[in-house]
Amino acid sequence: MTRTDLWPAIEPLLARVERPARYIDREWGALHDGEAAYRACLIYPDTYEIGQANQALAILYGVLNAIPGVAAERAYLPWMDMSAAMRETGVPLFSLESCGAVRDFDLVGITIPYELTYSNILETLDLAGVPLRAVDRSESDPLVVGGGPSVFNPEPVAAFFDAILIGEGEEAVGEIVSAHRAAKAASASRAETLHALAAVPGVYVPSLYETVRDAKGAYAGTQPLPDTAARPVVEKRVVADFDAAPVAIAGIVPFMDVVHDRYGLEVLRGCTRGCRICQAGMVYRHVRERTPDHILRDVVAGLACTGYDEVSLTSLSTTDHSQLEEVLRRLQRRLEGTGVSVSLPSLRVDAFGVEMARLVSAGGKKSGLTFAPEAGTQRMRDVINKNVTEEDLLGSVQRAFESGWRRVKLYFMIGLPTETDEDIQGIGELVHKVFRTAREATPPAQRGGLKVAVSVSTFVPKAQTPFQWEPQISFDEIGRRQQVLRDSMPHKGVDLHWHDAEISFLEGVMARGGREVADVVEAAWRGGAVFDAWTEQFRLQRWLGAFAETGVDAESIANRERLQSEPLPWAHISAGVAPGYLWRERERAFAGKTTPDCSFAGCTGCDVCDDLEVKIVLAGDSRG
Amino acid sequence: MANGEFRLRVRYGKVGRLRWLSHLEVLHALERTVRRAGLPYAVTHGFSPHMKVAFGPALPVGTAGENEYYDIWLTRYTKAEELLSLLASAMPQDLAPTAAGYVGDSEPSLGAALTIARYQVEVTGKGSLTEQVHAAMKSLVDSGTLTVTHKGKHKVFDLARSLPEETRVTQSADGSRIELAVRIGPEGSLRPEALVRAALQSAQLDATVVRVTRTDTLIEQQEGLWARPL
Ligand code: SF4
Repeated sequence: MTRTDLWPAIEPLLARVERPARYIDREWGALHDGEAAYRACLIYPDTYEIGQANQALAILYGVLNAIPGVAAERAYLPWMDMSAAMRETGVPLFSLESCGAVRDFDLVGITIPYELTYSNILETLDLAGVPLRAVDRSESDPLVVGGGPSVFNPEPVAAFFDAILIGEGEEAVGEIVSAHRAAKAASASRAETLHALAAVPGVYVPSLYETVRDAKGAYAGTQPLPDTAARPVVEKRVVADFDAAPVAIAGIVPFMDVVHDRYGLEVLRGCTRGCRICQAGMVYRHVRERTPDHILRDVVAGLACTGYDEVSLTSLSTTDHSQLEEVLRRLQRRLEGTGVSVSLPSLRVDAFGVEMARLVSAGGKKSGLTFAPEAGTQRMRDVINKNVTEEDLLGSVQRAFESGWRRVKLYFMIGLPTETDEDIQGIGELVHKVFRTAREATPPAQRGGLKVAVSVSTFVPKAQTPFQWEPQISFDEIGRRQQVLRDSMPHKGVDLHWHDAEISFLEGVMARGGREVADVVEAAWRGGAVFDAWTEQFRLQRWLGAFAETGVDAESIANRERLQSEPLPWAHISAGVAPGYLWRERERAFAGKTTPDCSFAGCTGCDVCDDLEVKIVLAGDSRG
Repeated sequence: MANGEFRLRVRYGKVGRLRWLSHLEVLHALERTVRRAGLPYAVTHGFSPHMKVAFGPALPVGTAGENEYYDIWLTRYTKAEELLSLLASAMPQDLAPTAAGYVGDSEPSLGAALTIARYQVEVTGKGSLTEQVHAAMKSLVDSGTLTVTHKGKHKVFDLARSLPEETRVTQSADGSRIELAVRIGPEGSLRPEALVRAALQSAQLDATVVRVTRTDTLIEQQEGLWARPL
C-alpha cells in the first residue's frame, strides 16, 4: 500500500476551522508504528470529542497494536467546517497518527454507536473516498468492518459494511485481522476474503445473505446464500473471562475537552435486572464482574499512565457491582490527598445508591444526583420490570437531600406499552412527592437552591427486547401525551426537559427497519443529513424527503404492532437470548408480572448462559 | 505560598503540531504531566481542590512558543534537574520542558513579571520579498498607531510604546521572517500577526502570514535590561 503523509495539506486548513486540536494527534499514549505490514484504522463516526472517550475503541486499539506486524490508528469525523475545507482542497479523510489516507488502510473499522449516527457513517466513507456500498468496492478498497452497540439490528446499515462483528470485540478483532491477513497472503480476491470472514464466529457478512419474500411479496426472512460459510443465525461474541480481559490502561490522553474526560475503567459487564425496555440489558447479558483487586490494580496503573485527576467506574449499572462498597473504600484510601476524584456514571434508585454517592463525594463537591424511575405508577413500572418502588425513590431523595445534595434529576418515559393517561399523570404526582420530600429534607434557609430536573423521552421499542413487537406511539399521540404530562406537572421548582419527538420517531424507524432502510439513509445523507445526533443539525424534513423518495413506509416500521408469527428483520442476528424468552417476558409484562434479577434469584431462563456456554460471574456473593 | 512548599519554575516549549493547542489545553496537558511524572505537587484547599500551578501569558491557538514558563508548588524538595527529567519523560515531545529551577517566595508572579515578548512572524507569497516587507513594516510603524478591531471592539495601539525595539526583517526559505519585540500586559497586548497583516495590507502586498512563534517571554528590569525569568 502507498503511504502518504497528508499533514502538509492538513495544517494550512487548521487556521480556518474551530478546535484544531481535533486533528493534530500527538496525544500522550498515541501509538506510532510506521513499519507495520498490516494497518487498521479505527473510526468513531462522530467528532473527536465524542469519539475519543469510547472505551471499546480504546481497548481494540490496544489489542490490535499488540499484535506483531499490525498497527492500528484512529480517525474521527471532522466537523463540518473541516470537511468543507477538506473537500475544497481535495484532502481525503485521514488517520491521526500517520496522517495517512483512510482509504489506503487494509482495514477500516467503524463503530456503529447509535441510530442517529447512520448518516455520519456515510459521510465518513464518502470523505474517505471509499464507495458507500460494499457491493461497489473494488479489490483496492479497504475492508470496511462495523461493530458496536447498534449491531443487534444491523440491517439499516448492513449494505455499507463488508462485515459486521456482533458482540464483544476483545477476542474477535484479532481473529478478523488474522483471517484478513491470511487471505491477503494467499492473494485472495475480495469475494474469497468475505467468505473467509463469514467463517469467523460472530462475524456477519451482509452480502452473503439475501432477503426472502413470500408469495404475496411480504418479507419472509433473511437467509445465507447457498454454498457459503455464512451461518443462518449469527450469534454474538462474548468474553467469558472478563476479569482477565484486556483493559485500556495506557489510554490516549486527549488535549482538548472531550466527553468523559477522565480515566474510565469498566468494572462489570452486562446487566440482568431485566428491564423490558432496555436493549443493552438484553444484548449484553450475562453479568461478569471484575474483582476488587483487579479494579484497584488497574485504576492505580491507569491513573499513573494517564495523569487524569478523575476516575470513573463504568458499566451499565455500576452500583450493581457486588463489591462496590469495598472497591470505593479502598480507592478512597489510595487516592487521599491527591486531588483525584472517583465518579459513578449511574445510580440505583435506592438507599445503597445514595450511600455510594456519598462515599465518592466525601468532603468534595456534590454535583446533581440522577435517578431513572422511568414510569410514574407502580403498575407501569411492573410492566417494564423496573424493580423499584416509590418508597425506594422517596427514601433515596430524602437521604440525599439530608446529606447535602440540592439537585436531583429524574428520567421518565412516556409511550410505554399499556400506558394510560393515569400513568402519565402518575409521573406528575411522583415529581410532586419528590419535590416535597426534597424540600422537607432541606434546611429552610437553603430551600432556594433546590432543584428538581425532569427529563422525559418517548419510548422507542428496540430489536431483541420483549417489546420488539410493540407499536411506537404516533407523532400526534406523543404531542397529546406530552400535554397530559405538562398539565399534571408541578410548575414551581421543576425544570422539565423533553426529548425531541421527531428524533424519537426516526430512532424508532432505524431501530426496527430492514434492509430497505439503507436506501433511506443514503437518500437522507445525499439530501444533506449529517450529525443528526447534534440536535441543532437534525432536520426531520430531510428524512421525510428520503422516505418519500425511496417509497419506504416509515410508519409501518415504527408505529405498527408485529404478529408473533411475523419474521423480524433481525432474526438472523442473535444476542443469545431466546426469542421464546422475549415473548414470555412480553406476556408477563401485559399480566403485570415482574421477573427477578437472575444474578441473585436464580436463572429465569433467557438461555444466554447455555447458548453461549458462559456463567454469571460475581466478585462477591451478595448485592450491596 | 504556604509553609513548607517549594516553588519550581519550569521553562517549556509549545512547538510543532502542538502549537494548535489553546492555552487551556496546554494547561490541562501540563497538569496531567505533573501527575504522570509523580511530582509531589501541592493542592489548593477549599471547595474543589486542584493542583497549585501558575502560568505566564497565554499563547493563542496556532502560535508556537519556544520559551514559555509555569510555576508549580511542591510539598517536598527534590533536585530541580531530577524533576526536569521526570517531567520530560512524561510529556508529549512538542511540549517538552527545557529548564527548571526553584524561585523565591517573594518573587512576583509570572503573569505580572513577564512584560516583553519576542516574536518571529513568517510570511510567504508573491509580495514577501525582504525589502518589500521591510518597507511595509517601516511605513506602518512610522505612522505611529494601529487600530485593531476584535469582536466589534476597536483598540488603538501606540506603536512607539508597543514595540520597544527595532523590528528586523530577513530572508527565509519561502518568503521573509520578521523579528519583533512586543510589550505585553494587562492593558492589552498587540498581536504580532495583526501588526504584520496590517502592514502587508496597507502596502497592498500579496503575501500571507503562515507561522507565528513567540521565541521568548522576558522580564523588563529597572535598568531597562531584559532578562529571562529562569
Ligand atoms: S441464562 Fe439464566 S442465569 Fe444466564 S443470563 Fe439468562 S436468565 Fe440469567
